[in-house]
Order: sequence, then structure tokens, then C-alpha cells
Amino acid sequence: MASTDRTAAPEPGFRASSRLKELMAEHFTGVDRAAREKSAPVAWCTSVGPVELLRALGFQVFFPENHGALLGASRVAGEVMGRAHAIGYSPDICSYLTSDIGAYLARKTPLSRYGLSAAPRPDLLLYSTNQCREVRDWFEFYGREWSVPVVGVTSFRDLGEVEDSHVDAITRQLEALVPALEAVAGRRLDPAALELAVERSRTCSDLWRQCLEASAARPAPLTFFDATIQMGPAVVLRGTAEACDYYRLLAAELAERVAAGRGALPRERFRLYWDGMPIWGRLRDLASLFAGLETSVVASTYCNSWVFDALDPRDPLRSMARASLELFIARAEGPKQRYLERMSRQFQVDGLVFHDARTCPNNSNVRFGLAQRLRRTSRVPVLVLDGDLNDLRCFSDEQARTNIEAFVEQLEDAGPAAAGGGHP
Amino acid sequence: MIVAGVDLGTECVKTVVVDGDAKILGRATVPTRGYFQDCFQEATGTALQEAQVSASQLAAVCVTGFAASCAPISSRTMSETLCHARGAWHKTQGPMTVVDIGGRDPKVIHVDARGTVTSSRSVRKCGVGIGTFLMFASRHLDVHPTRLMDLASSAEKAAPVGSYCSVFAEVEVIELLRQGSTAGEIALGCMQSIADRILEIDHFEDPIFVTGGVCEYFPGVVKALASRSALAVEILPEPILTGAYGAALFALDQARG
Repeated sequence: MASTDRTAAPEPGFRASSRLKELMAEHFTGVDRAAREKSAPVAWCTSVGPVELLRALGFQVFFPENHGALLGASRVAGEVMGRAHAIGYSPDICSYLTSDIGAYLARKTPLSRYGLSAAPRPDLLLYSTNQCREVRDWFEFYGREWSVPVVGVTSFRDLGEVEDSHVDAITRQLEALVPALEAVAGRRLDPAALELAVERSRTCSDLWRQCLEASAARPAPLTFFDATIQMGPAVVLRGTAEACDYYRLLAAELAERVAAGRGALPRERFRLYWDGMPIWGRLRDLASLFAGLETSVVASTYCNSWVFDALDPRDPLRSMARASLELFIARAEGPKQRYLERMSRQFQVDGLVFHDARTCPNNSNVRFGLAQRLRRTSRVPVLVLDGDLNDLRCFSDEQARTNIEAFVEQLEDAGPAAAGGGHP
Repeated sequence: MIVAGVDLGTECVKTVVVDGDAKILGRATVPTRGYFQDCFQEATGTALQEAQVSASQLAAVCVTGFAASCAPISSRTMSETLCHARGAWHKTQGPMTVVDIGGRDPKVIHVDARGTVTSSRSVRKCGVGIGTFLMFASRHLDVHPTRLMDLASSAEKAAPVGSYCSVFAEVEVIELLRQGSTAGEIALGCMQSIADRILEIDHFEDPIFVTGGVCEYFPGVVKALASRSALAVEILPEPILTGAYGAALFALDQARG
């Protein structure tokens, strides 16, 4: 895939991206400074964990899954994962985990571009298993390494409907976390500060959703590949004013593009939906391949994972609990299918691409027949790509390219009715 | 007292004939082809000839390896793990990590000061971690496997080959050729791939000694192992015979009662 024949130059980047780069640099250097100078308590948090509690208590927060994605995108992951395998972390478990622990053991980090020699060392690690169990094992490795507390929420998984009893249980766990967090922060939790953090998270979520929904327009101004970069602040700065400011900027620019009829690709013949994790080490190659095929990947489950509709500053902990449970990844097949059907209609897609990530069963949604059921109910063609988020040994460039090209040819063969006709 | 050890491997069958002082009197290595029984006869016959003894003079024969059960004669069967550890320890007499890289599945074997195996782990079921993968690769590079090392030595950089599946890795080799990588770069990439899979098997403790046929024919794998791990890695003398020699030592134990 490194040398694609059918590629196209992407449209010029977003004006907002220069601010994005600044924000991300400020984030990494800020957490690093706090860790080195002990100017603020530092916590690691899972990407859809209860970060608002940490914000309210003055923690600087680092997100190791973001580090995992950077390791994948920079392809450092392939150099270091073996170090984790050698100490007993299987090649079959989350390659974010094995990449990150491998990078720690090999003393390598892509954060060196921001002047960091390693991921900032935390005073506490906070997880939620709403996405997978691996995050807890991942954090416990570092808890043992550095003798720092590892606390978290053991969440429900595969939920059909989110019931009040589920929300109650998670709320109680969140309440129980507070004393441990306060002990490390050295201060009491200020309810007003928590409300503010939740309000900012909700605002960020709403603005991020607005940005993603801009691609319901034809042509779509933002592809899945763009969004995996643009989502940085929604992941690492959730609960801050800076993240909200950024998405106001981006949303305005996207609205301009929609008004001008300016798409992310020079020409958009087909529109696809991406389900599952990005293949970080092939993001650019895949973006070029799809662009060359004049096919825009206009929406994804992954980038929508940082949309939290339930957050409500008037009821912070309970709404945080509900938001954590309503996430796609925490849901059963039924709600997942309904979600994908709704997204397919909303974004008027011609086909669905499922990425079956070898080391991420929790975020691979083709293993229980969902793709086949969707094909029947939505009458939308489905493509399954075998690969992985970070472990490129599980991905075949040639096989992927052939399958993607064949899929687009399949859409062409289906005729004009299929081109944009999946969901008029 | 004269005994023999025979290692019936997937790529070669090796026989070592030793005397009562564990001194090698005869040795032979034949490529595995056709039936293992025939390879056994060829290797053992050659080794006995070199030792100038007849089969009837053997007080014991210990067999090991993938096809140990096919040996037409034997008085004892031992696992490859113990035979490689025993053969290596006899030469080093100290605690070590033995890395056995054969045609089938590389192993990392931890051996204590008394020569006891404390742990052993093989590569996972991954075609790219096995020596035979180099044979596949040489086919696509259109060279005899013995030329692969020369090719790899000529390369300034490796063309990375990374896949869990040797069939898909072969496709990668073809892709790399299409993209213009040199055969040397690909050969080096293949050797690094094997080294990487081995480094993932287990932790390593100094000193590290490599045994098995791959390092005899493809020392580039060992070089890659050392450079990618930043560890000092040594090849034992006559590495391909280590398992057979270890088996011969077990045969000696048996003959001595």
C-alpha cells in the first residue's frame, strides 16, 4: 500500500489545523511539565473514562490510548511491541497496550517531536472498563512499575437498553472513586468545578458532533481520515475550554465548506461508512487510495465515540455514568445494528467498511454476523477489511487494496442507482 | 564405549557418534527429503563411517527432533529442548539462555548453573518465525537458499517483511520486488523478521548462545538478533549439531547405566 497507483492529492488542509497542532503540543508539554516539576498532580485516564472528575480536581491528564495511536501512526509500534510480548503480553491482546508497554521498555516515544523523552509519569491511573478489560491490565502494569494507585470503574458491557439500575451502579462507583482522587490531588472535590468540567465536556461533545455531521452534506467536507486527526482535542482536552474553542473554529470552517459546496475530495462518486478502529500505520495510504477511487469515507463509529449526549452539568456524576454506558462499544448487537442503520441513512452512504482489528475484538463488530444482518436490512454493500489498529503484521496491503478496489467496482457495477442511492 | 545421538529435524537429519569421553568421532548432516527413515540411515551411516565403527558397536542410540518417532533404531528418545540445552551446557558449563533456531519452531530455553532447564518457550504458531520461511523466500528471490546470506550481507538496509503468516509474507516479498527493493534488502528483511519473532518469545538473560541449523547457514539471523536486542549473542561451535550432540550425551548416560 506504500505505493498506490490510483491516488489523488487531497484537498488543501483546514485553516484550523495550525491551532490543532499548537493545542496538541501545549497538551503534551503541559502534562510533561507538570510531571517533571510536580506543579500539578498528573493522572492517566482511559479515553472514554471519567476525566471530568480529574479536571475538577486540578489534574493534568494524559491519555495512553492517544499515545498508542501515535505509536501506530508513527509506525514505532512495530519496533517495540515485541518487548511487551517477551514479558508475557500476548500478540493477541490489544496492540495499543503492547505498543505502549513496549515503547516504555524500549524507551521510545513519538512524543519526542514535542521534546518529551517518555510519556509523562503519573501520580494516579484512572480507568473505566466500559470499552474493554485491557485498559485495566494496561494501567496495572504501570501501577506496579511506579507504585502509584490504579483506580477505576468496572463497567457493564454488551448492554441492550441502558437501565436506571446500570446507571445507579456506575454512579456509585464514581462516587466511591472521589476519596482516592482527592487524596492524590490534595484537595476536596468542588461540586461547582465538576459541573463546569461536565458542561465543557458536553459542549465539546456537541461541537464535535456538529463537525462530524457536516459530512452529511454532499460532498462531505471531512473524511474519516481527517476526523481521526481532528478528534485530538475531543480525546485529550475533553472538559476544557480550549477544546470547545477549537471545535467552534473547526465547525465554522466546515460550515463554510459546506456552503461553498467544497468537499474533502476533488470528486466524490461514492460515500462510505467506516466501522471499527483506524489502521493507524496505514491511515495516509488508505486515505490516498480511497481518494484515488473518488470515494469519500464520510462517517465512522470510531470518531463518534467521543460524542456524549447524556452529559448534563445539572446531574454530573449520574450523567457521566449514563454517558459512559450509552457508548456504542459498550452496547449489545441490537443497539449497534440500529445505530449503524441510523448512521447509514443520516450520511447517505453507499457502503459500509468494517475493520476487523485482530487485537481489538471489543471494537470489531463483524464477529457475530452484524455485517451480514445490516446487508440484509439496509441493502447496503459491506466490505470487511482484516487488519489491526497498530499491529501491521495482521494487515496485508495487497489484499486490502484489492478488496477496496473490487468493492468500489462493485458499487460502480451496481449502476447509478447505487451511486449515492443506498440511502437517498 | 561408543554411542550415537540423532536429531531428525524438518530441514536436516544430524547424527553424532561419540566415545566414552563425549569426544566426537563422527558426524553427518543430510537434508531432510523423502522418508525420515532413509535420511536417518544416510546420516548415521556417514557418521559411523567417519568414526570407523559399525552400528553393532553402538552401546546406545538416543534420538530427538521432529521425526524422532521415525528412527528405525533407538534406545532412548529425548525432547529437542533437553537435547539442545544439554549439548549447549556441555560446552559452556554455566547458566545461559539457549536460542535454538531450527527449521520448525525457534525456542528460547533458560538453563541454570547445573544445566537444568528452568523454562522453555517456542515461537507462536507463526510461519514467519521459522527457519523454513527463508527457504520460501529464496524461491521468490530466485536464488538457492545458501545464497541468501551473501545477498543479505550485500544490503545496506533491510526491506521490512512483517506478517504473522508466511504465505502473506511471501506476497510481501513479491510486492517488495515489484516496488524495486533489491534481493539483498529483502533477504536481510526476512532474516530480521525471524529475529524479531524470536525476541518476542521470552525474556533473555546473558549469556545467550544460539544453536540450530539456521545460524549455521544464515548467520545474518543471529546478527539481526544481536543488533535488534542490543544483547551479546554467541553461536556455539557446530550449532547445527547441538541437538544431536545433546542426544548423544543422553545416550552415554543410558549406556553407563
